[in-house]
Amino acid sequence: MKEYTLLAAFSVVAALLANRLLKTALLRKVEYYVFLAIILCFKLAVNGYLTGKGVVLYNERFFLGIRLGSIPVEDFMFGFSMVTMSIVFWEYFKKKT
Amino acid sequence: MSEYMTVLVLSGAVPLVCSFYPPLRFYAHYKSLLYSIGLIVAIFGTWDIFATWRGHWHFNPQSVWKATIVNLPLEEVLFFFVIPFCCIFTWEAIVHIKDKLS
Repeated sequence: MKEYTLLAAFSVVAALLANRLLKTALLRKVEYYVFLAIILCFKLAVNGYLTGKGVVLYNERFFLGIRLGSIPVEDFMFGFSMVTMSIVFWEYFKKKT
Repeated sequence: MSEYMTVLVLSGAVPLVCSFYPPLRFYAHYKSLLYSIGLIVAIFGTWDIFATWRGHWHFNPQSVWKATIVNLPLEEVLFFFVIPFCCIFTWEAIVHIKDKLS
């Protein structure tokens, strides 16, 4: 198994687990899916630029080698986890204070 | 300005300006914002340091400043501040619009 692929898959599980443990229930909110759709558009622009212009360069040994345009599929998992955790943490801390 | 820095400024400028839109009351929860971004920097920064150290990816020296934190270009560290900020702003904007519509 490729290291980046493995870490990226693990991060998705961790993000969903954080949502569950911190009781933020994002998956049941329509806003979350609207959010994901909007962020995906910006992600394609930013990540597409960084990978397409070679600002960040990936070692073929560590990922599947499957890309959507110039973006490795693992980046979509990385991105999903990061944006989901951002909202999980935000909602959690907001609820607490 | 480095190429990567330009991308960050373009990503963050509009959300930053709009976050001061008074009805949003975005900074009423500034502590939650700090904690959330802090956690993202810690978690994903650690991952990035590891991945860069292992050689999963590297940064084109032509596209980033020379300044680094551990083994990451300054821009890559700023990425973990800017993007979660943009996400949280977007989330609050969606919630705000939804509340207004309902």
